[in-house]
Amino acid sequence: MSKSSQRSPFGWSNRGGQVTVIEAPVARSHRRRAIISFWVTLGVVGLLAATVASYYLHPILGALLGVVLGAVLGAVVFALIAAWPVLRVFWHWLPEIVLGLAVVYGWTTLMQSTPLWGSLLIVALVVGVPAAIKPIRLRVMAWVWCLIVRHRLRLCFAAFIATNRHGSLPLILPAKPTPAGERVWVWLRPGLSLRDLEQDGQVQKLAVACWANEVRVMRANRKYAALIRLDITRREPLAHTIVSPLPDYVPTDIPANAPTSPGMPPVGLDLPDVPDQPATASTDAPRQRKPRNNTTNTTSPNGFDPSDYA
Amino acid sequence: MDLTDTIELPTPATAADTVPVAGGLSIFDPVFLGIDEFGHPAYLPMIYRNILIGGEPGAGKSSLLNTIVGHAALCPDVRLCLLDGKQVELGLWKDAADVFVGPDMDHAIRTLRRVQTVMDNRYSFLLARRRRKIGPNDLFGQILVACDEIAYFSATAGDKKDQDLFAALLRDIVARGRAVGIIVAAATQRPSSDIIPPSLRDLFAWRFAGRCTNDVSSDIVLGHGWYARGFSSNSIDPNNQGEGYLIAEGGIPNRVKAAYMTDADIIRVADYATWTRRRSGLAAPAAKVAA
Ligand SMILES: Nc1ncnc2c1ncn2[C@@H]1O[C@H](COP(=O)(O)OP(=O)(O)O)[C@@H](O)[C@H]1O
Ligand SMILES: [Mg+2]
Repeated sequence: MSKSSQRSPFGWSNRGGQVTVIEAPVARSHRRRAIISFWVTLGVVGLLAATVASYYLHPILGALLGVVLGAVLGAVVFALIAAWPVLRVFWHWLPEIVLGLAVVYGWTTLMQSTPLWGSLLIVALVVGVPAAIKPIRLRVMAWVWCLIVRHRLRLCFAAFIATNRHGSLPLILPAKPTPAGERVWVWLRPGLSLRDLEQDGQVQKLAVACWANEVRVMRANRKYAALIRLDITRREPLAHTIVSPLPDYVPTDIPANAPTSPGMPPVGLDLPDVPDQPATASTDAPRQRKPRNNTTNTTSPNGFDPSDYA
Repeated sequence: MDLTDTIELPTPATAADTVPVAGGLSIFDPVFLGIDEFGHPAYLPMIYRNILIGGEPGAGKSSLLNTIVGHAALCPDVRLCLLDGKQVELGLWKDAADVFVGPDMDHAIRTLRRVQTVMDNRYSFLLARRRRKIGPNDLFGQILVACDEIAYFSATAGDKKDQDLFAALLRDIVARGRAVGIIVAAATQRPSSDIIPPSLRDLFAWRFAGRCTNDVSSDIVLGHGWYARGFSSNSIDPNNQGEGYLIAEGGIPNRVKAAYMTDADIIRVADYATWTRRRSGLAAPAAKVAA
């Protein structure tokens, strides 16, 4: 990649070359975005504040105040955007952080308010009862899987789902446990579409990364193409036999004279009983044969027949 | 006179006092198919619809077809027209059915011709009444055409000409039968182009894919592109018969486990259906139609 293209004023003319190192351009574009945000905030807030302040103060004082206010707010925005890569990590791990804090603070307050044996008893109860009661345990595990899956998916998106030039990843929305596994909603950023996830082997890779059995992707909304849904399955909830309710519609007091067709004598039920007739080109013979349709003569080894999709 | 009104079915008036109305079901009610992955019941509205059932041998296709036929048999105004090259899969309903076609190509084609004629007559009738489709409690009931192992009729039995004719007739019934209450439910192992014409396969709005031997087969049943999104019925446990992907309302495949009727259940329901149908005069004895 040439030096000149790297130093282009907009920093994005390197799209023709191969960007193998994602970090440098991303960090650069980040800094640039922070600087631009600073100036825009300074301009807009400064102008507004100056206009309002001029009503009450001398215009020059008002203008000065506006600039100072704009600069302060701009600096805040700059700091937020510059620190966003770090803040983002906190955001991603927010449930875990909150949980951890709750555990630590809960434990200390418990220790302060009750004697040691009391605290131990309460902890044993809080941990032991859900662990002992199966439905609660399964429920808790399902929610834990939801947390895990969101991290795993983020890893996948960063690792092998094509991102756009800004390197922004799809937004992983909340996850919900289902009897088969989890369901996660994802908001795709510009530059991605469902097609990228449908590419050959992509869902299988997702399944591997999520420690799951299968991953299925589909649109989640008729209005927004960006909103997609991932169904991750890791359990088999359909293993039981479902008894059909249709017999329940039959009253118990129907007459026993079950109508049946006249019986058929057991003739021709074995090979010697069926004569060996000459085979003809016309297909009259199959009438004798037990009809089975084993005619799925596939045209290629993997059974793919282009005319099936004609 | 408001001709767009539906017209009451005349039959119950004659025999209403002795004959229990069969089950109180209606084909306008969705058919209970089984449960889905969330443990919710999966219902399949069959009126104005057609369904194609695919899957490897032993995937549970015939069982699902039996569930649909069973629902229809308990509907007092649905006539059954069953085609089964294997005879035993739908044979338990033989007495409740108006027509039961075994491994007899000629009979199958004659039957489809009859259904086609009925369809044409119904459309002429509707047109004369300035209506566009039938409703519940209409002057005429609905007809369920259930065909197990289509491949037997469309690719195995008879000669090429008969097979093409069969496929063409079935395609016509699937394409035009909906609005006059002619419903087609068809099962086959692998509906690839050498078994049934793609033009026939693509007419079925609803699909059920039981376990398939590979991902391509699953795509053939469900429609191209579902495998890429992770919907492949090849991943179904072969020992879990009756599980499969169902495309119905919503258009997205749903993993469901079909409800199962044991042979005793089927015989019980079929006997009851036969009894109520004979009493209400709906079913002609099956023996009469065999030529
Ligand atoms: N929904 C179901 N639940 C439980 N068992 C089933 C179900 N459907 C089918 N089976 C079992 O699988 C066997 C084969 O089913 P069948 O419908 O004959 O398969 P196919 O017609 O696809 O070859 C049945 O005899 C039954 O024991
Ligand atoms: Mg079968």
